[in-house]
Amino acid sequence: MTPLQSGTLSLLDERDLYARLLADDPVAPSDLAMAYFEPLTAWLEARYPRLHPHECATAAGEAIMALIKNPRSYKPDRQQRESLLSYLRMSAKAKLSNLLRAERRHGDRRADLDAVALSPVMGKYLGDENADPARIVERQEEESTALTPPPLPDSLRATLSPVEIEMLRLMTLKERKTIVFARLLGIADRPVAEQRREVKRAKDRLHKRRRRAGDHHG
Amino acid sequence: MASRIEQFARVAADDPFFLGAALADYAASEHLDDLGLASALGCQEALLTPLRLCRRPRPEPSLFRADIEAIVARFAVNGDRLAEAVRRSDALARLRGTAARAEGLLMAARDREPNDGNHDAPESTS
Repeated sequence: MTPLQSGTLSLLDERDLYARLLADDPVAPSDLAMAYFEPLTAWLEARYPRLHPHECATAAGEAIMALIKNPRSYKPDRQQRESLLSYLRMSAKAKLSNLLRAERRHGDRRADLDAVALSPVMGKYLGDENADPARIVERQEEESTALTPPPLPDSLRATLSPVEIEMLRLMTLKERKTIVFARLLGIADRPVAEQRREVKRAKDRLHKRRRRAGDHHG
Repeated sequence: MASRIEQFARVAADDPFFLGAALADYAASEHLDDLGLASALGCQEALLTPLRLCRRPRPEPSLFRADIEAIVARFAVNGDRLAEAVRRSDALARLRGTAARAEGLLMAARDREPNDGNHDAPESTS
């Protein structure tokens, strides 16, 4: 048998996958992630085109992780009309909302998630300058320009994932809050002690790789 | 550049819940890159992503065997090597736990001031 490919499943396959998750089938988490991660990310990107794709991928990943760790959070009996994909979409939207709220707290961004949704009528966004997606993007660009750390050596950058590059950027900016890194790593739903441990591990690994690459910034 | 699902699988590999964490430990201990790891497991490199996203086999012997067999049945990887990778990762995790506890004890010992003047005095019972 080959791994499940990205794409939505039939209701029957969905039910089978969910039953395997509940039964602790070791392959079920992989099947779930392979089938739903990309469609879920793409759905968020289409719904919130003004957001950074990385934020959509992080939220999609968090929703999938949450279901893998706690499959009983989805109740197919009570949610008979709702497919697993619909449930994951709702969950990913909530994760994205939490992610943006945390970032807003961190960066004093004031727009709500719904304010950056693609409106069917262009230009009809709440009538609030701060909620205008164009203004949000401009503000983000201003912030990122103001907070641009020294460039990473190409040899190092080529080996890093976008998550690792973002982690390094935040580390260079002296970000110290564990929750910010935990959200980036998709582990914000775990106990705080575990978040601290995992964030420290990830940071230590990045420090090592920087040293190996001869980069001494930050 | 790694695809998004590959990146997601690598993030998941930081979580010991996933098989990816065990494979990362094994690869590090054998100094293997992705190609070397895939070769050791007898599979294509592309298969590492879904493998990393599998749940780590449960430690109880009968469940461990069943979980390894389920993963092998799906991905046709070398079962002996897969079992060895997980066992080695388990051993490394135990060593890390022991080392962390020892470090904690040392830090607690260092926290005591050697000349605080009270360390010989009996504690108040009030």
